[in-house]
Amino acid sequence: MQHEFKFAGDTVEVTVARDSQTWHLGDSECQIMADGRLKLTVNGVTKFAHSTKVGDVWWVHIDGHVFCIEKTEAGSNDDDSQGGMVAPMPGKIIDVLVEQGQSVTAGDLLLVMEAMKMEHRIVANMDGVIGMLKLTPGDQVQQGDVLVEISE
Amino acid sequence: MVSTVLVANRGEIACRILRACSEAGLNSVAIYANNDKDSMFVELATISVELAGETIGETYLDQQQILDIAAEYGADAIHPGFGFLSERADFARAVLEAGITWIGPSPLAIEMMGDKMTARKTMKAAGVPVIPGEEIDFEDETKMIEAIVQASTRVGYPLLLKASSGGGGKGMRKVESPDDLVESIKGARREAIAAFGDGRVYIERMLTGSKHVEIQVLADTHGRVIHLGERECSVQRRHQKVFEESPCPVMTTDLREKMGQAAVMAAKAVDYEGAGTVEFLLTSTGEFFFLEMNTRIQVEHPVTEMVTGIDLVREQLRIAAGKPMSCGQLMMRGHAIEVRLYAEDASNNFLPAIGPLAVFRPPTGPGIRLDTGVREGDMVTPNYDPMLAKLIVWAPSRAEALQRMRRALDDFVVLGTTTNLRFLRELCDHEDVVSGATDTTMIERIWPNGWSPQFSSEILNAALMVAGVSESAGLHTVQATMSSTDDGPLSPFQSLTRRYP
Repeated sequence: MQHEFKFAGDTVEVTVARDSQTWHLGDSECQIMADGRLKLTVNGVTKFAHSTKVGDVWWVHIDGHVFCIEKTEAGSNDDDSQGGMVAPMPGKIIDVLVEQGQSVTAGDLLLVMEAMKMEHRIVANMDGVIGMLKLTPGDQVQQGDVLVEISE
Repeated sequence: MVSTVLVANRGEIACRILRACSEAGLNSVAIYANNDKDSMFVELATISVELAGETIGETYLDQQQILDIAAEYGADAIHPGFGFLSERADFARAVLEAGITWIGPSPLAIEMMGDKMTARKTMKAAGVPVIPGEEIDFEDETKMIEAIVQASTRVGYPLLLKASSGGGGKGMRKVESPDDLVESIKGARREAIAAFGDGRVYIERMLTGSKHVEIQVLADTHGRVIHLGERECSVQRRHQKVFEESPCPVMTTDLREKMGQAAVMAAKAVDYEGAGTVEFLLTSTGEFFFLEMNTRIQVEHPVTEMVTGIDLVREQLRIAAGKPMSCGQLMMRGHAIEVRLYAEDASNNFLPAIGPLAVFRPPTGPGIRLDTGVREGDMVTPNYDPMLAKLIVWAPSRAEALQRMRRALDDFVVLGTTTNLRFLRELCDHEDVVSGATDTTMIERIWPNGWSPQFSSEILNAALMVAGVSESAGLHTVQATMSSTDDGPLSPFQSLTRRYP
């Protein structure tokens, strides 16, 4: 199943597949335990997580960290036009769908990046014209790097 | 004799006291505001009585209503906890006049320590070292400014202006240079008048890089006054402690004896009775100076209990009943650390947070203690202080205690409300905490631009997968809306200035 989430202002698409009692994402596996916790196997390491949804937000506790991950409807654009087009995590650019000078409208898919076998879609957070854009597929980016700029 | 104790407080400390009453074989009366009717402490008393009124002033601070309830339900003692009415001499006096035992020191002792200038003078007379500075006896603004400007040349810079009735950073000003002095005096005076109705301000040298070290004292009505060693509480944000430990990492037997004796002298100087705390600043050169005395049980009292094996609240009950304290020779064993779990956003200037405690699973295991007034399913509202719990660990050594705290914090699951758990966890890894080189300004020093959580992309990806699986499987969901009856007149921001040292 495919879901769209927002974390720290960025839209992230997560696709998990179910095979009997086990969920898969890339090489990672996840099982739901009888007490509601999730047992996760990533790179051969097992971790246990708690999750609960409050309103539209999934609260996830894993390894002493808490993440607030908002469920958004796929394709919807309720972006608060704030931040948004920086790399949510270190990773690799796998697709660049726009070029410098191109006009875009809010919600247009601009870039796709990959980190840990997951695709992260970078969408336009406002209407405008693509400014400086130096990235090409295969480029490595660091968390917080500005990927693309849009000017009105 | 005492048979029925009314606990004039709420939340975590009310739970602590009510359980102690139960263990001491005493009846107890809890009082609660309507917005606390489902709170945990209400369940722990022999009788629970709802207070009339809406605001804090109309409920937990309504002295007459509390005295009426005590009379109606036959309470023969009142325990004020901390905060609320605990350091109100007028309330202590009213309790005693009603023929009820006040579990705390005399109204006079509360007054003498509550007025900071009087406390300074009393301590100087008793031979307890005070921070270099001067009391200013003028209330008139012009005369006060004149006197402080003169005193400043003797005290030196940087200096602190403090309100005599102050607390919690209100009416306090740090002054770096003579150019800012007059404006700062006016500001401190204005703030003090607004907050306490008393504009008197005095001057002290600012001792930067100092540790906050406090001594627990206990005094009974049989003439015995003892100290129970120290707690170090240097790690503070916005003048509120977040990380407390005993012993202090730099303490020596000799220094403990000196500070302990100074604290005992301080208590004796005001004929102290019950449990109290004498706070000192300990400089990097090993000099210590009296800061203030808290005339009540303190938030961080469990740290002392863990290393001394003494139940301080039980001792308070015993002393109030006129019995001698049960403590023998001071024995400190191992190391204890407490952290305060707050509903707040540590990455946004520690702004208080509200929400449901959709998941609340504290850590367990040897050497772990949790003092809390909440449980899973409760709502964190803006009505009261955002402290949710105190997590205390004990281990034979400091290094082991710190390691146990890290494990306990990693295992502590709170979902639905933002807390400072991760901040506390990262604090445990900071080199100054690990080495014990903590001082009162360290949080601003370590995170001058504010703290934000550090995590790897692996862990974020794992969390995203958990969210994806949880969404697909339709796991546990909680409604986000809070019932309107939970919304009190106070915003969470107002509670920022409330103080529970």
